[in-house]
Amino acid sequence: MSSRSFRDESPDLGMRLYVVQYLVLAIFIALGIRFYFLQVVRHDAYTARAEENRIREIPIIATRGSIFDRNGQRLVDSTPAWNIVVTPEDIPKENRQETINALVEQLGVDYKLLMTELEDPHRPKSQPILIKQNATKADQAWVAARELEYPEIRVEDQPQRIYPHGKLAAHVLGYIGEISPKMLEDPRYADAGYKSGDIIGLGGIEAQYDLILRGQNGKRLLVVDSRGRQIRELTRVEPIKGMDIITTLDIDVQRVAEDQFDSVGQTGVAVAMNPQNGEILAMVSRPAFDPNVFAENVISSGENRAEVRAIMNDVTHPLYNKAIQGRYPTGSTWKLMMTTAALEEGVITPKDSRLVCGHGIQMGNKFVACMGNHGSPDIHAAIVHSCDGYFYRLGLKMGIDKIHDWVVRFGAGAKTGIDLPHELKGIIPDREWKKRVNPRDPVWKDFDTVLAAVGQGSVAITPLQLLRAESGIMMGGEFHTPHLLKEARETQLFKVKTYEDSTVNLVLSPTTVDIVSYGAWGVVNEGGTGGRAALPGINVGGKTGTAQVIAKEKVRTKEHQDHGWFISFAPLHTSEKPEFAAVVLTEHGGQGGLTSAPKSRMINAEYFSKKLGHRILPELAAKPDPGKLSQAPKTPAPNPGRAVARVEQGRRR
Amino acid sequence: MVDINRRSFKDVDWVLLLAPIALTLLGCLGIISTEGADVTRSSHHGFSLFQKQLIALGIGVLIAAVVMLTDYRKIIVAIAPFFYAFVMVLLVLVLFVGVEIHGNKAWLNVAGFSLQPSEFAKVATILMLARHLSQPREGPLSIKDMAIMGLITAPPIALIYLEHDTGTMLTFGAILGSFYFIGGMRKTLVVAAVLGVAVALVAVYPHLRGYQKERIDVILHPEKADPKGYGYQTIQSMIAVGSGGVLGKGIGQGTQGRLGFLPFAYSDFVGAVVAEETGFVGVLVMMALYLMLIWRLFAVASGARERSGALMIIGFIALIAFHILCNLGMVVGLLPIMGIPLPLMSSGGTAIMSMFLCVGLALSVRLRRFVN
Repeated sequence: MSSRSFRDESPDLGMRLYVVQYLVLAIFIALGIRFYFLQVVRHDAYTARAEENRIREIPIIATRGSIFDRNGQRLVDSTPAWNIVVTPEDIPKENRQETINALVEQLGVDYKLLMTELEDPHRPKSQPILIKQNATKADQAWVAARELEYPEIRVEDQPQRIYPHGKLAAHVLGYIGEISPKMLEDPRYADAGYKSGDIIGLGGIEAQYDLILRGQNGKRLLVVDSRGRQIRELTRVEPIKGMDIITTLDIDVQRVAEDQFDSVGQTGVAVAMNPQNGEILAMVSRPAFDPNVFAENVISSGENRAEVRAIMNDVTHPLYNKAIQGRYPTGSTWKLMMTTAALEEGVITPKDSRLVCGHGIQMGNKFVACMGNHGSPDIHAAIVHSCDGYFYRLGLKMGIDKIHDWVVRFGAGAKTGIDLPHELKGIIPDREWKKRVNPRDPVWKDFDTVLAAVGQGSVAITPLQLLRAESGIMMGGEFHTPHLLKEARETQLFKVKTYEDSTVNLVLSPTTVDIVSYGAWGVVNEGGTGGRAALPGINVGGKTGTAQVIAKEKVRTKEHQDHGWFISFAPLHTSEKPEFAAVVLTEHGGQGGLTSAPKSRMINAEYFSKKLGHRILPELAAKPDPGKLSQAPKTPAPNPGRAVARVEQGRRR
Repeated sequence: MVDINRRSFKDVDWVLLLAPIALTLLGCLGIISTEGADVTRSSHHGFSLFQKQLIALGIGVLIAAVVMLTDYRKIIVAIAPFFYAFVMVLLVLVLFVGVEIHGNKAWLNVAGFSLQPSEFAKVATILMLARHLSQPREGPLSIKDMAIMGLITAPPIALIYLEHDTGTMLTFGAILGSFYFIGGMRKTLVVAAVLGVAVALVAVYPHLRGYQKERIDVILHPEKADPKGYGYQTIQSMIAVGSGGVLGKGIGQGTQGRLGFLPFAYSDFVGAVVAEETGFVGVLVMMALYLMLIWRLFAVASGARERSGALMIIGFIALIAFHILCNLGMVVGLLPIMGIPLPLMSSGGTAIMSMFLCVGLALSVRLRRFVN
């Protein structure tokens, strides 16, 4: 044994050994601390990320509720569609080209379109790209067979929205689309649980009742590997179908109303309502659009973007629902409101209602004409013949303040509260309003009153506002809220929902209402301006109106033509309350009595034919059934024994 | 000899032998857990990686036993030069008939098994360096000695450079550095070398290739790294480790390794799999085993009868510690990815065998600490 250690032969070897030893120890302590930090301190955060890696949530899209008309006719439907999607984040980097080739060559995907989607920097990589809608069985089988090779390509069930009648009631039904990032910033949507990529109603009932139509998406939680291959399904939450909505629309009345415009190529508005409860039976706005274009855009992921853009950029604004967004001067339809106001204020009385027509009125250096010379008519004759001269003077007698107050009381100019999005208010001018919008000429003048008295000048309200206001008068002061929802059918998510009507009641004297409705009846049935709206056997009443677009002497082209109004109520001037009110506005159609009254007649005819069970106009059916005709119940006969009799005394025959 | 044999059995350092066996088996747990996860992995001749690892362990223990019974001085003096030369020939052969796995052409096919000569080259180089320093000397290491040691290390570094194996090249640098230090390099030079390496690291950084830079950036700013880019492996490894928690997800229950989120989970990232499945407790066990092994090696080196044995074992310590530092540093996201495996645990037969060769040599030193 040697006592001599080799240590002695080396310069400070012992010290150097210690250095190495401590260095090793330091390394282990550092690694240990780091492991402690990752595994104990940050454990929860990393567990979450491991789960994120491993578990993928695949939504099962809930089928949207269908939409029906009041008689159960299907207006909007959802059908299952099998689409092929590719998830960009699952495409392996090194095999990207291979996947792209497979998509283009085997599934026939357009290369350019695919690349724009794949390289879109704004599109989240986790969001699947739709590459084929309504995939054939063969394509589906191709994808299924290559599940291992291309796990990034999947077949997905995305129900397709179908509007079987195309443009029919498009503005009422609305359309759908993918929720926009801007909408998602709105707490209204974010708080209601909407997520990026969700399909949402963007107009009409689809938007208004989206929350009940959309149902609740289900989901599958899958364990996947790093290639996105499904290892197993953890949980599955079945989707809940959205509620079906039964609307108040009547598809037949709606169709006839639309035909009135489409068959002659005119644009405008028609709305039909039950004045007794506010149910909308038809709502037409022309030009219209086909909501299927938007529905296809959702599932085709942009293939028909051009079509969508064409609708969006159309200068005629087909997406506009003019019934609630178009604001027009009412023209003479206004006179029914004026008459009611004047009688209630006592400016005229049933016994003393005569005013001079004078073929118009001289206002300073301007002469505002009446279209005829009506002598000095009483109120009935003034309505029947739509005597402007009479109403100019009546307006001056009342003054703008009273006119304004009464019209506002009838609800004109305010939103009707219809269950559709984007309804606009109207303009009912008064002193305040003129001061605000016309600072150069802020003082209200008699001239303004004269125009306001016949619904011209600055008056601008929506057709629906007019319909609600005058229907309420004809109902004796009972103003219902126009609405489209009749019932939403019960689902697991919601109980049955019916529309809760809110009614505004105004105290109007029965005499006033009788005089106004008798006047309206006369417009149609006593040789007045609305004679073209008359229907055999039905006591239709109404009022014509012609809304001037520009000064008469400047009218040159069709675009300068006046808008023609006709508002109708039936039955009128009977012992019963009206059950059908309709407003028709023909844009640039000229006089309302000529252009809109015939449309209104057909809409009324369709409604009453359906109700009575026989065709009351031969034009409506190829072969009217004479047998049925004779059996038909009779409509109530005019009842002249009421307030009308009192007016009659002063009437000029 | 009988005397030695009888005494040897009593004197065998069992901890020194059992700790590496335990570590290899722990590594096997990680390898089994990820078996089948990566379908692109090549599995020759029907043996799974786990089975191959066990075969290598068996051969390794055999090598250790044979070497233990051989006088290490004889090995250093008489066999080492031939071993060194033989391994260099293999390294040259790799360049011509080598097999490429994952971008590295570092393997030779021998009788159906792939052999990685660079693993043996590390041991051979350590033996040659220890051999050169075996003579007693006075004063600090001379420049001439340093140059000769550099020349011993240069051929394997050059050949491995041609294999594009950066991690292994760094290992040779670490071995040479540790021998310089322990061999008695002047303190001023030590300080200069440490500073020089630090300056070089900072100076080299801007000239690195894109992916190399990205691998470093993910360490410096993990929150800014592209999770799908070159930082992917580091991020996935940290997720694996962190999600393991204190007790782990259970053996065979890990998700990061099993589902393929962690690439090379059976080789470079086997430590992450073990951390994921056995948790912080398992990590402590693993680190304790490594420390036991290294501490026994220190003890053997301190008690060595003469210089070459002690220096050889310090070379082994440097080799093992450097690998652990680089590999686990990478696993926990403290160091960039360099492709350095975890000693005894990562899948790789040649590495196992060469490690047990080291163990055998250490046992041999230990047995002969009192022998003349």
